[in-house]
Amino acid sequence: MRKFWLIVKREYVTRVRTKGFIFATILIPILSTGFFAFSIFMATRQNDRTMNIAILDNSGGFADAISKSLRNNLPNGLPAFRVVQTIDRPSSEKDARKELLAQVNAGSLDGFLVLPKNITGAKAAEFHTRNTGDFTLEGTIGHAVSDAVITRRLSDRGIHVENLRDVIHNVEIKMVKVTRQGETEEKGQTFITAIVLAMLLYMTLIMYGIVTMRSVLEEKTTRIVEVLISAVTPFQLLAGKIIGVAAVAFTQYLIWITSASLLGAYGGAMAAALRPGSSIPTLHVPPLVLISLPVYFLLGYFLYASMYAAIGAAASNEQDAQQMQLPATLPIVMSFIMFNVLLRDPNSTMSVVLSEIPFFSPILMLLRISVQTPPLWQIALSILLLILTALGVVYLSARIYRVGVLMYGKRPSLVEILRWVRYT
Amino acid sequence: MDAVLVDRVTKSYDSVTAVNDLSFAIKQGAVFGLLGPNGAGKTTTLRMMMRILVPDTGNIRILGEPLTDKTQDLIGYLPEERGLYQRMEIGKILVFLGALKGLTEKEAGRRTGAWLERFELTKWTKKKLIDLSKGMQQKVQFIAAVIHQPPLLILDEPFTGLDPVNAILVKDIMLELRAQGATIILSTHRMEQVEMMCDSICLIHHGRNVLHGDLRAIKKSYGKNTLRIECSGDGNFLNQSGLVENVNHFGEVTEAKLKPGADPQEILKAAVRQGVRINRFELVEPPLNDIFIEKVGGARA
Repeated sequence: MRKFWLIVKREYVTRVRTKGFIFATILIPILSTGFFAFSIFMATRQNDRTMNIAILDNSGGFADAISKSLRNNLPNGLPAFRVVQTIDRPSSEKDARKELLAQVNAGSLDGFLVLPKNITGAKAAEFHTRNTGDFTLEGTIGHAVSDAVITRRLSDRGIHVENLRDVIHNVEIKMVKVTRQGETEEKGQTFITAIVLAMLLYMTLIMYGIVTMRSVLEEKTTRIVEVLISAVTPFQLLAGKIIGVAAVAFTQYLIWITSASLLGAYGGAMAAALRPGSSIPTLHVPPLVLISLPVYFLLGYFLYASMYAAIGAAASNEQDAQQMQLPATLPIVMSFIMFNVLLRDPNSTMSVVLSEIPFFSPILMLLRISVQTPPLWQIALSILLLILTALGVVYLSARIYRVGVLMYGKRPSLVEILRWVRYT
Repeated sequence: MDAVLVDRVTKSYDSVTAVNDLSFAIKQGAVFGLLGPNGAGKTTTLRMMMRILVPDTGNIRILGEPLTDKTQDLIGYLPEERGLYQRMEIGKILVFLGALKGLTEKEAGRRTGAWLERFELTKWTKKKLIDLSKGMQQKVQFIAAVIHQPPLLILDEPFTGLDPVNAILVKDIMLELRAQGATIILSTHRMEQVEMMCDSICLIHHGRNVLHGDLRAIKKSYGKNTLRIECSGDGNFLNQSGLVENVNHFGEVTEAKLKPGADPQEILKAAVRQGVRINRFELVEPPLNDIFIEKVGGARA
């Protein structure tokens, strides 16, 4: 036991001190916080300058109505648009376009709107401007044109409307999530939580699986493994390594969860400081999810890390290991692809079956738990199946590891690897 | 009590039998040469002693005890393929490996300091292994094998990569450990090293014991059938005499194996007749190299 802890300690201490770990641990929260702040900033960012635009109206008679709709102001009080020129049914559309284009290129005009003939039919209008990436601009102008055209269509049918917005604005539907704990208003935060947690599991399972594989491979290629297993049993060495890397992963989780809760607590205040008036939905993570996350991570990690360790032991160099990774990586990637199936209907037979399969359950059952609490027996069954499978895979991996670390040379075939399991 | 007892051990991998009904014993305090051509089964045998591999049949005892966790700590091992953690400080590597072999970390730290000083590596203590020269890495690896002062030391080609000064240092430490009661197993292809250091040997071929016992006794059993000559002039008289089986020229020294019953006096006469100047003319026991080639080459043919 003492030797086992020495292995765990060495693995933990050397990994936690690597630059890679420090960077990943510190940079990922900083980057995601930065990304969060940046996206709030970008989403609420508006032009602070009046746009000078022209309207080229081939249908005729829309310019006034559109200009009237575009009378909203910027946050700094200036008007958002100024219609500096309107061209009603030009004799030559081609010449008119050419002239407006020249003005845009010269900078005296920020953009021009082109309405085709018969806009009341189902035709598209065009807005020509240098910067087409501004989605709020597209929305504002789109609304203005639609309102004018719809007003015209109605008046053509004898209905006269003074202010169309008052008539056609949509009725909002509030989604309310029902759980046993009560009802909470849904603004998409349940899905965001579910996806973020499942993504986290997906990334860390692969990342720490590969860390374990590299660690095994390093000891094999530097040949120190022969000295080590003259002092400890291969099983002690493998178990110590897997537990040591798990401790590293938990350290990282702890740092991330702490910084995420800080962000949750102060994120709203941060957003408010950046843009007064904006609000973000608070993420509500049920306690069951918080308990399931470490349980499924740990069990999933044991399952996959031991597979990765066996691969590291069977390979003799980094290239071989890369090529042999597929059996371990594929189920993780498949769980990721099946996100959609589960999110669409978490209680369909398909979803239930998939989330009970041990190789998928770490990610998929956690996803189900965070979207909608499944019956407890389903959670218990998935954990039981996962534990049994993990034990079996750890056993097989340890037997492969024991033989593999002493085998050098060409990449072994699957048949050879399976034969190693039977060696005494 | 024997330091090591290997009793009718067999080990196979799939269709290959690496070790075949092998038996030998090593006396406590001996320097024992484990010899054999490449692929003879030496490494498999050593690994079974260290419990890295399990024999299919047969029995191994270390200092009278069957193999357990405890016997593992009694062995120090320098593998032929050297290697330690590349990116770990050498001081920490040695403390870790010492602790794995049963020392407390404090004691391992104390001994690491003493050994690094003896090998003049003290100022490198906090350097990573990768920053050291090949020769220095070899020294670190040797320390790793002896740090827990094992009663049984297994050294596979201990002198490769060492300059003559460090080779002498390593040899002196081996003799010191032996004087303190340690048993040393030396696995090497360098027969002159075996002749200088070992008191007993075992020669393995195709996983079988083909020759073992006290080295002096083995050589004596071959008798003084070899001529060692230093001469200036044409050395052809040896072949022309028709009295030798084969001739080995080493440059300065020439060795020739006499045919059974041949009289060395006749060869000396032939040399004098041809006007060759003889500086040395000695009748000796066959070198271990020749015994090795005879045993292994003969078995192959």
